[in-house]
Amino acid sequence: MKYKSTLFRYSGYVFLLPYMALFCAFLVVPLCYGLVLSFFDWEMISPFPPKFIGLGNYGEALTSPYFWKALWATIRFVIMIVPSVVLGALLIALLINNVPQKQESFFRAAYFFPTIISISVAGILWRWFYNTEFGLFNSYLQNLGIRVHWLSEMKWAMKSIVLMTLWWTIGGAMVVLLAGLKQIPDQYYEAAAIDGANAIHRFFYITLPLLRPVLLFVIVMSIIGSFQVFGQTFMITRGGPELSTRVLVQYIYETAFSNYRMGYGAAMSWLLFLVIAVFSLIQFRLIKER
Amino acid sequence: MQPPGNIKSAFKTSLRILLCAFLLVGCELGPSRKITVRFWNGFTGPDGRTMLKIVKRFNRENPDIRVLMQRMDWGTYYNKLFVAGIGNRAPEVFIIHAGNIERFMQANFIRTIDDLVAGENGMDTRDFSENIWNAVEKNGRHYGLPLDVHIIGMYYNRALFRKAGIVDEKGEPKPPETREEFLKALSKLTKDVNGDGQNDTWGFVLTWYWTNLYSLMCQWEGKFFTPDNDKCLLNSPENVEALQFCVDLIRKYKYSPPPENFDSWIGFRQGKVGIAFEGIYMLADLERQKDLDFAGAPMPVLGKVPAAWADSHILCLKTGLEDKKLDAAWRFMKYLSDNSLDWAEGGQVPVRSSLRNTERFRNMKIQWEFAKQIPYIRYVPRVPFIFEYGQEFNVGVEKALRGTLSPKQALDEAAENVNKIIERRNKMIEENLKRRP
Repeated sequence: MKYKSTLFRYSGYVFLLPYMALFCAFLVVPLCYGLVLSFFDWEMISPFPPKFIGLGNYGEALTSPYFWKALWATIRFVIMIVPSVVLGALLIALLINNVPQKQESFFRAAYFFPTIISISVAGILWRWFYNTEFGLFNSYLQNLGIRVHWLSEMKWAMKSIVLMTLWWTIGGAMVVLLAGLKQIPDQYYEAAAIDGANAIHRFFYITLPLLRPVLLFVIVMSIIGSFQVFGQTFMITRGGPELSTRVLVQYIYETAFSNYRMGYGAAMSWLLFLVIAVFSLIQFRLIKER
Repeated sequence: MQPPGNIKSAFKTSLRILLCAFLLVGCELGPSRKITVRFWNGFTGPDGRTMLKIVKRFNRENPDIRVLMQRMDWGTYYNKLFVAGIGNRAPEVFIIHAGNIERFMQANFIRTIDDLVAGENGMDTRDFSENIWNAVEKNGRHYGLPLDVHIIGMYYNRALFRKAGIVDEKGEPKPPETREEFLKALSKLTKDVNGDGQNDTWGFVLTWYWTNLYSLMCQWEGKFFTPDNDKCLLNSPENVEALQFCVDLIRKYKYSPPPENFDSWIGFRQGKVGIAFEGIYMLADLERQKDLDFAGAPMPVLGKVPAAWADSHILCLKTGLEDKKLDAAWRFMKYLSDNSLDWAEGGQVPVRSSLRNTERFRNMKIQWEFAKQIPYIRYVPRVPFIFEYGQEFNVGVEKALRGTLSPKQALDEAAENVNKIIERRNKMIEENLKRRP
């Protein structure tokens, strides 16, 4: 069918307009502005105007130990959190998929619930959980004679952040995976059962291959989100001890809004963007392969 | 399907709400034409309730002015204030800490108050202690009205002191005044009661490194910057010695728990620690702990000279106010200063000596004790890169206390990093001056 009126043909764009306007005003414009800013040396509260320094800010970041330390903290977080979230969410989704319909919505809601809590509330909550003296975890562990210094010891601090994030984000990933599981037609399983496949066979030869696109989607989103981690570390450890949990976004935030070095902050944001873009491209390649 | 009656009543209700809203707006814009003064601060704790009471009283007593107070967390307060200032939307009156004043001067956000102080509704500046009044001065002009001075001091647990036998002739707990007395008290206070090889009570904990170590370094007569702020001297031998003393309290004498596994302030509140140095503003927090028998005293002299960290909340005026607003804002600032004893009640020390020499202030026992240190209080160095400096300072001290680096190495590293910041800034300033004709 052909649309005769041009007005009708372009009416879709009119409906798109309100969102596009906001999208441009709050995302595209600041993004481009940030890119321009990243080539300038500008201290917001100094009496001097911005000065063009080319790639100077990028050079400073790549030679700054603080930048690498923050990037390494971020990568450590990503390495720990992404597999835990994906595997954990998959396990929970499989379990929930097998409970009767009536109870399913209850479990789904229960696991999803933490995700709707705002990060500031969740952060304060978990800071109390982790309190060495009268926190929830240590009060249970006390019965076993164990005392863990969740946030003040270097070997524990990042793991504590990961544990909290797991609780906070696993529900979102689980809901997506569960929806993916529901898409797999029952006939496949029935046919496999007739052919004598056991549960493990069914999982590896039916569920996993058919879940692959959804799984990859979850992994990609989880990696992108994890590189941008900020709220948890900012609320719970403020980057301590000895800056071991100061992630890149927190360093950018401090550079731009506590030290007011706008250009340098913008340059580091673009470096973070590049890191995320590279990872995302690799993964989208993987998705396309089949 | 919804019965039509419901829709009708919903419609009516929304009309009523709308009407009320209009009426309220009408009240706000009423014939009184009050002058609005916005007042921002970071008093989100119990101090905020005290301040709100004073503000409400001011609004009652001054019907022509309406002060709107907005509180936000100190952690993000300055970011918001700066952004508001850059957009010229800063509130008429706002609080900043004395340590941050340099950056605000540099950004040209605050109005000097010398003309107002000398004006007809002025005040006698001799009432301020000189060192406090100087904290807001630059090139002979004053950039704000100090509201209070919050000093660090010694809090001690009276019950633990009695148990350890650290008492005077009358049997009252006796706070230490010198290094010998301090170390002796700590050795008596640090105890393993149940004999499991772990201390159940500790003599001392460091709380906030920024204030604790700064005070001690000042006591050791350490320097932090060259007079022209061109070089950081944080790694001077005196500062290293002061930090070494603290490391020894933890590692050598074992009077103080290692920082990686102790919640210092909470430990003191729980009665597990004999002595802690903290600001007067923590008083309200301790008073909530009903089962804690504590008292306050000036910091003991652990180094060579008495010294104690202090900071002030400074009442500042936005630049470029029109006369009417300026008059209203100044009246409000003066009112707060005149009534700063009410403010002191919640755990502060007023800056005006006429207010401190009153029976009422004498009865605020801990404030009174801490205020004895005013002659030798020390504000932090006034540098425009105070945040970056503070972070290097804290991380350096943390590394030494945790044993990651030796005190010398840690402070060397911190000083080197601060010097890099100074170099970068000097270069920026130099290049900009060159560009100007």
